[in-house]
Amino acid sequence: MTASTDDERSLIEAAQADPARFLELYDRYVDRVYAYVSRRAGSRVAAEDITSAVFEQALTKLSTFEWRGVPFAAWIFRIAANALTDHWRREGRDAHDPPPDVPDEREYRDLEQRVSLFQLVDRLPDTQRQVIQMRFVDGCSIRDVAVALGRSEGAVKQLQLRALESLRKSMGHHG
Amino acid sequence: MADEPLIDRLDRIIDALVAREDATAALGDAEAAPLARVAAELRHYPRRDFTMRLRAQLEGRTKMATAVAARNIRAGFTSVTPYVWVPDRGFADFLVRVFDAVETSVAENPGHGTHRELRIGSSMLMIGETGEHGGSASPRPVAFHVFVEDADAVFAKALNAGGTSLGEPADRPYGERSGFIRDSYGNHWYIATSLGPSAVPKELRTITPFLHAQNVGEYIGFLQRAFGAVEEARHEMPGGAVPYARVRIGDAALEMGGPVDPMPGAYFLYVDDADAVYEQALVAGATSLSAPADRPTGDRIAFVQDPLGNHWYIARSI
Repeated sequence: MTASTDDERSLIEAAQADPARFLELYDRYVDRVYAYVSRRAGSRVAAEDITSAVFEQALTKLSTFEWRGVPFAAWIFRIAANALTDHWRREGRDAHDPPPDVPDEREYRDLEQRVSLFQLVDRLPDTQRQVIQMRFVDGCSIRDVAVALGRSEGAVKQLQLRALESLRKSMGHHG
Repeated sequence: MADEPLIDRLDRIIDALVAREDATAALGDAEAAPLARVAAELRHYPRRDFTMRLRAQLEGRTKMATAVAARNIRAGFTSVTPYVWVPDRGFADFLVRVFDAVETSVAENPGHGTHRELRIGSSMLMIGETGEHGGSASPRPVAFHVFVEDADAVFAKALNAGGTSLGEPADRPYGERSGFIRDSYGNHWYIATSLGPSAVPKELRTITPFLHAQNVGEYIGFLQRAFGAVEEARHEMPGGAVPYARVRIGDAALEMGGPVDPMPGAYFLYVDDADAVYEQALVAGATSLSAPADRPTGDRIAFVQDPLGNHWYIARSI
């Protein structure tokens, strides 16, 4: 973490001086924030709305971020925790529910692993990635995927198995 | 079940996971369990068209912030200057009498009336006097939050100068002593002295335009998309009404609140790239009144109307 701290500090200062550099912070954090929010949001639509709100606010408030030993990750996860609380309140969830915690070291490691998995999906061969996307993101049945890709159901199941085996193998190397 | 091939067992586990049903049985299946764990995580895989669209939205905002950050605003001005259209010079006289305004510039525009600029404390106002022949624009009364050393004394001067009271000076729960005046041209003046350490709060100048809006939240969204506005404060009531909010465009603050009928006015906005900001304003929902063009003064100016009816002169100063 310390190796990248100086690098991150100069990136934040650059983004404070030139808002266009904020996109580099976005690229670095969007999957982590999404992974954190998604586990708690209850639905994909809510996870996307909350993630959008987090980065809109982060861009607005970036000028107020001061480098005082609080890492940028802690700052942006605090924004995310507050956005989740707002979301729960709008949904009418019990106000006595404890507010969400920002990730501790262990959850942060889990998030990093999940982010590595997302990046491995991005690098799968096109058809395997399409199958994963349609099954897990769009919630399509094997039959729907088969029709959309013009393949047999057996072939789609085969692609699904191969994709998962390949991800598990690569995660093994990461973990 | 053990006879069922892995490919089919895994598929049933995925069906259960995606439907958010109980898939714990998979953990007893030694061959499928490691794959089921990966599958459980994949439910959280972000839609890439979502992360790309959000990136594009943020990129639009950062570009806008860069285009609006005018580096060559005319000396003494800020990013936003109210442009008040009135029939005659009586309004400038009112400002001199009540607020000790100082006229810094005046130009006759044959056929278009008179353009006048006045300094009040740390702020500038532009005035268009349409003249006897009506000129090119109609009077557009607006509202101002103005900070002075002694709100009671200035309120009394405003009454003497022909103003009508909309509210006697009183200590307000939002940290100021203020009285409200409507001048004889219909403009509202919220004349205030901060109850804080200095008469003018540190985040504001002498004069801050106050925009009345029925739906403040939506209007702030427009200002963010059109002009890269940054929201600095928002007081929201339980029902969602926003009686007060403050945004910053470039280095200028704008206050707004509702629900009160809008008083659409005119504002002069200095930017770095008038063409880019003009295009972005149209995308955000503004209506074009005139495309960017070089003016005889050397400025490049575009002219749009926002969803509340406010007019914006988007200008790059040469």
